[in-house]
Amino acid sequence: MNRALRLLRRRLIGSIPVLLIVIVGSFLLLEAAPGDAVDAYVASVGGDAGMIEALRQSWGLDASPMTRLAAYLWALLHLDLGHSVAFSRPVLDVVLERLPNTLLLMGAATALSFALGTALGILAGARPGSARDRLLSIGSLALYAVPGFWLALVLTIVFSVELRWLPLSGMETIASGKTGFARALDIARHMVLPVTSLGLIYLALYLRMMRAGMAEVWRMDFTLAARARGIGRRRIVLRHVARNALLPLVTMLGLQSAQMLGGSVVIESVFSVPGLGRLAQEAVGSRDTPLLIGIILVSAVLVIVINLLVDIAYAALDPRVGANEANA
Amino acid sequence: MSLRRLFRSPEAVAGFVILGLLGAMALTAPLLFPGDPLAIAGQPLLRPFQDWALPLGTDRLGRDVLAGLFHGARTSLAVGLAAAAASILVGSVVGTVAGFAGGLVDEVLMRITDAFQTVPGFLLSLALVSVVGPSLSVVVAAIALSAWTGPARIARAEVLSIRERDYVASARVIGMHPIEIAFREVLPNALPPVLALSSVIVAAAILTEAALSFLGLGDPNRVTWGGMIAEGRAVLRSAPFLSVIPGIALVFSVLGVYLAGEGVVESTAAREGQA
Amino acid sequence: MAGFKISRRRVLAGSAFLLASTALPSIGWTQAKKGGRLVVAADSEPRNLNPAIVASNGVFFVASKVVEPLAEASFDGEGGLEPRLATSWEGSEDGLTVTFKLREGVTWHDGKPFTSADVAFSALNVWKPLQNLGRVVFKNLEAVETPDEHTAVFKFSKPTPLQLIKNALPALTSVVPKHVYEGKDIAENPANNAPVGTGPFKFAEHKPGEYYRLERNDKYWGESEPQLDEIIYRVLPDRAAAAGALEAEEIQLAAFSAVPLADLERISKVPGIRVITEGYEALTYQLVVEINHRRKELADLKVRQAIAHAIDKDFVVKTIFLGYAKPATGIVPQNDKQFYTPDVATYGFDVAKANALLDEAGYPKKDDGKRFALKLLPAPYFNETKQFGDYLRQALAAVGIDAELVNNDSAAHQKAVYTDHAFDIAIAPPVFRGDPAISTTILVQSGIPDGVPFSNQGGYKNDALDALIAKAAETLDPAARIELYKEFQKKVAADLPLINVAEWGFITVARDTVKNVSNNPRWAVSNWADTYVET
Repeated sequence: MNRALRLLRRRLIGSIPVLLIVIVGSFLLLEAAPGDAVDAYVASVGGDAGMIEALRQSWGLDASPMTRLAAYLWALLHLDLGHSVAFSRPVLDVVLERLPNTLLLMGAATALSFALGTALGILAGARPGSARDRLLSIGSLALYAVPGFWLALVLTIVFSVELRWLPLSGMETIASGKTGFARALDIARHMVLPVTSLGLIYLALYLRMMRAGMAEVWRMDFTLAARARGIGRRRIVLRHVARNALLPLVTMLGLQSAQMLGGSVVIESVFSVPGLGRLAQEAVGSRDTPLLIGIILVSAVLVIVINLLVDIAYAALDPRVGANEANA
Repeated sequence: MSLRRLFRSPEAVAGFVILGLLGAMALTAPLLFPGDPLAIAGQPLLRPFQDWALPLGTDRLGRDVLAGLFHGARTSLAVGLAAAAASILVGSVVGTVAGFAGGLVDEVLMRITDAFQTVPGFLLSLALVSVVGPSLSVVVAAIALSAWTGPARIARAEVLSIRERDYVASARVIGMHPIEIAFREVLPNALPPVLALSSVIVAAAILTEAALSFLGLGDPNRVTWGGMIAEGRAVLRSAPFLSVIPGIALVFSVLGVYLAGEGVVESTAAREGQA
Repeated sequence: MAGFKISRRRVLAGSAFLLASTALPSIGWTQAKKGGRLVVAADSEPRNLNPAIVASNGVFFVASKVVEPLAEASFDGEGGLEPRLATSWEGSEDGLTVTFKLREGVTWHDGKPFTSADVAFSALNVWKPLQNLGRVVFKNLEAVETPDEHTAVFKFSKPTPLQLIKNALPALTSVVPKHVYEGKDIAENPANNAPVGTGPFKFAEHKPGEYYRLERNDKYWGESEPQLDEIIYRVLPDRAAAAGALEAEEIQLAAFSAVPLADLERISKVPGIRVITEGYEALTYQLVVEINHRRKELADLKVRQAIAHAIDKDFVVKTIFLGYAKPATGIVPQNDKQFYTPDVATYGFDVAKANALLDEAGYPKKDDGKRFALKLLPAPYFNETKQFGDYLRQALAAVGIDAELVNNDSAAHQKAVYTDHAFDIAIAPPVFRGDPAISTTILVQSGIPDGVPFSNQGGYKNDALDALIAKAAETLDPAARIELYKEFQKKVAADLPLINVAEWGFITVARDTVKNVSNNPRWAVSNWADTYVET
């Protein structure tokens, strides 16, 4: 466990420059954008020159970009993420309000694609080259090739509009007054389609990795030895081959977390899930620099933490991995 | 020899056939459908197989779907290839420099790579395109911006292992400039595993372009399949063919790119295994 | 065929509403229908929900149920108006005062009484200095006298036509409570996001990204109103979501064309759902080609005429709007009963004439068939403005003008067109708000500072037109004022500072169980006091 703590400390210190690059980069990106928060606002409500000037002053947009960046970083040092101009609320409040929804969506989708992908990968890898293997591999690839939004739209039409088995959109039934288990069940029902749409896309990754990993393990000495000893095929698959092929998948889990956050933008938009992805899109649209940086910062921290957990898990699973290598 | 091995797998064959078709569509588009594919060609929302002049029907403004499909193949392929080329170029240069120079340069370059990998790629593309404005080159740049990190990491790892090899050492002995060594001796040898990533990047680029178009961030002056799907979405229920046709084309292309890429990687791996 | 079906449905539906609204006053009948929860689609969450500060339809859609104006638009009320917080209004001969009698026995949602002090405060501290539209209409308002609790006398420093004030009542005069706003920063007051008003519904909660909830105001002044217990606005940001949600019965009503026009024909055939085209008569949007007169080619009237001739308005109406619009003849929409005149120069679709005009102007086709290139910026706010951009590019190509489309998001469009003037032609959807002086004359008037959206940023300057606009703004006699605006329409059509292509109202799609829908010309942004859900 000591090793894990050392790793943690190293990682946290190591991520400071990364976060700094992310912050300055996103700031400059929005700064270079044509139009600022006032333009975005005025485009939706109209107004005259005096009003526009007054808004720019009251939203603090009349200072030079460098002054604002310095002020932002200074506030950030005091753990203040600033004020969202589009929501006129503290950024942290706005982000934290949406974070659980995104975590739920991403977590469930990851679990789905990981569990299902691994299981199907084992099925496919158990007999490499068989018809079952080919079917599963190509089928999962085809799912990966389908644009996520398209899959989502078709699923909603079939299951929500035509069959009416599942709710169409949102996180939960509005103002239903449900609590406890009933509410959890309600949220779960709402999450089925978004989680499926997001999870099915990434299924192929895990399936193919598992299958590829197994193909390699099949050729290894200890597998051959086990086969020579006459151990049953099923047992070899589960005990030896699959288990050894699982490790790289854990690494993939970490790498994939950032990708999935991106993929959730579109899914959240189709299913009206109030999550971070959609919020980020709104923040860009309304040129809300503090909010966008806040979201990117929070998701970057999230990605760093997930990767850290993956590394710790990896280190715990495989003693050969030293804490030094884990950073490479 | 290796070609025969390549075509032993039916998946790889299917992949190359799809890619061949795609390439043929892209090349023949300006011959078969001269003029602007966005031009209004007939009565709007004509269903497929009704009029042989417009075999796949027309969209909401009366634009020829078949012409769009052919010209869309051009843009989709162009976006995919350009994005992959750009990200592999940037990635392998960054990776080679980082791996070869080591020290502070390596540290700085790898932190930047970390930073890019920490931010969700699609979010980055989305922000860049909405900020700079959607045109084909911006879309390509945005996709490359989020895809160069993979090639960079692999190139660096390869360079780290290659730089200690004999021929690099001998190049040093004969007094070659380090930059020359890096780009003439090391990079070419580090490239193959990086190139193996290209099919993944091309496929991801095609999908990202479609997702950006879905969010209204496609180039309005060009036909893209993503744009066609996004346009057809409003009439998904009443005229499903408008989004299904380009959708199928998209799925097949991505699948083809993948299968072909995988076939190549597997046949080279098998050759190496044999050697 | 199908079009006929829809229109017959529409007629039937329309007459059903008329019957329903005349039948309403019989109390026994309405009481049986009380209650119910109405769930509607909302596509955006405004930053500021105070309609006294932000007079826009996005804000009104939610806030008009909570905060009331002095009067509302009406199909059959006197002068097209129906009293709300004011019961009568009267202007003086000299045009310097307008006297409002206010409704008695009205209380704010927090229990305090509504008085003339609230109106005076709203007018002087909110409408005039802060409101996007009020800053223009009320710029000469000097004082509001309050001789008693139920009389407010508006004093203007310059003669201000009563006609203009009357036309401005529904959109510009939302009254907010003085006791909530006084002494605090009005623009950043927390009540801007949880409005307090006198309306039939109280603001209950807002869960960002999910919904707004309004509750019945039991102490509403309207007799046996409101009918509904609750209104919920589901936030559905995706354009395709509303149609599915209606069919799945997750929402019961989608206003402002939240269901895409192209999907209307299909959804009108779904049992239990109806498509309603009424209820937007006072919210006419105009499809306009904005022209940058700084471009040498476009400063030439012949070129502008050629562009006007190159546009097939019927095609635009039929294909882009699927018939849910009208071809425009000029800068005032045809459904305006006071000011509109058809007697203006018109530009029929005529490619040959357009080509001839361009040749005459000295821009012959070059070897590649092109005359010159333009940058075309369609506004991103509506599907239709973007689609018209796609069409216009093709229409211009047909006369040898090579237009390159530049798609921006709203912030970038606002900056490019209205601040930086970095466009050659742009496509805008301005709103006609019942009087040309509110938001229409600024589309062509000169001397407007940079950055003002939906105004003349194309560098057009016409002294005669400016003089006409100034004169009309101060003319008190309604008939004379109307004549001046007719003259205005003729001048605009003749000189083409911009090109009006089409005008449209939105479409409401509702389940059959929702009653009393679209029974006034601003229905979507009115108070819905008599709407109910049949169970």
